[in-house]
Amino acid sequence: MTITHWIPRSSLIDYQREIENLLDSFFGSGPEEETECAISPSVDIEELEKSYSINIELPGVNKKDVSINVNEDILSIEGEKKPGKDTNKYKYHRRERTYGKFHRSFRLPDIVDTNSIDAVFKNGVLNITVPKRKEDLSKNIEIKIK
Amino acid sequence: MSLVKWTPRTTLNLRNEFDRLFDSFFNTEEEETSLAAFSPSVDIMEKEKEFLITAELPGIKKDDIKMNIRDNVLTVSGEKKQEKKTEKDNFHRTERVYGSFQRSFRLPDSADQENISAEFKDGVLSVTIPKLKESISKSIDIKIK
Repeated sequence: MTITHWIPRSSLIDYQREIENLLDSFFGSGPEEETECAISPSVDIEELEKSYSINIELPGVNKKDVSINVNEDILSIEGEKKPGKDTNKYKYHRRERTYGKFHRSFRLPDIVDTNSIDAVFKNGVLNITVPKRKEDLSKNIEIKIK
Repeated sequence: MSLVKWTPRTTLNLRNEFDRLFDSFFNTEEEETSLAAFSPSVDIMEKEKEFLITAELPGIKKDDIKMNIRDNVLTVSGEKKQEKKTEKDNFHRTERVYGSFQRSFRLPDSADQENISAEFKDGVLSVTIPKLKESISKSIDIKIK
């Protein structure tokens, strides 16, 4: 019997990623999504006829503190949620909100146009529209039954 | 030994139990354990002249938030609606929670209930509760004999 190196799994997120990698799903988490982040914002991803609509909950986050980028087929959203400017003047009775860095990333499907991704920040929700490529929309291949 | 009816406690109930133990200002109220789908996270702060409550309500429209005060209890409630772009349910990921929410807070005696103001910005509701003037200036000198 040989001794194999044991790689500990730090969290459930790692497991989730393992499973996603196995399934190799569209919009599975990207490889570089950090697990040390203080916050993991909730995300909905909806597929529409001509695009994908990604909605990320980022309440109280300043637009300037968010960056979105695409590297090959990985879409990354990262930034920092900072407490309000004057909050250091207050003493806390209750602190349920969490602040700090966040990072989410998703593997994009092949059919998207990464050059025309659009983002809008409204009411604490970041909406990213990832359009599908036009040629893929019209691609209609008929398969004959012999 | 007599049989006692067992009342199960949910997590929210447990939190209320703790609040009751400490009997703090702003302890959350029992009615919070209603059929709300989720409980928004809040920070409660205090400085010399005011209290400030901030609640995270991302993706909620201002018109869908209700606030009222009854018997010294401030209640924030409303509904978070899912905005679907199509009729179809074609989701690749659904991590966000939708539905009704409610949080209630017992106001301290020093709160000036007539002058509470609220602002909704970037998905965060900020409620400013000024303190009554007499409670701010109340400084009692105690002489040492």
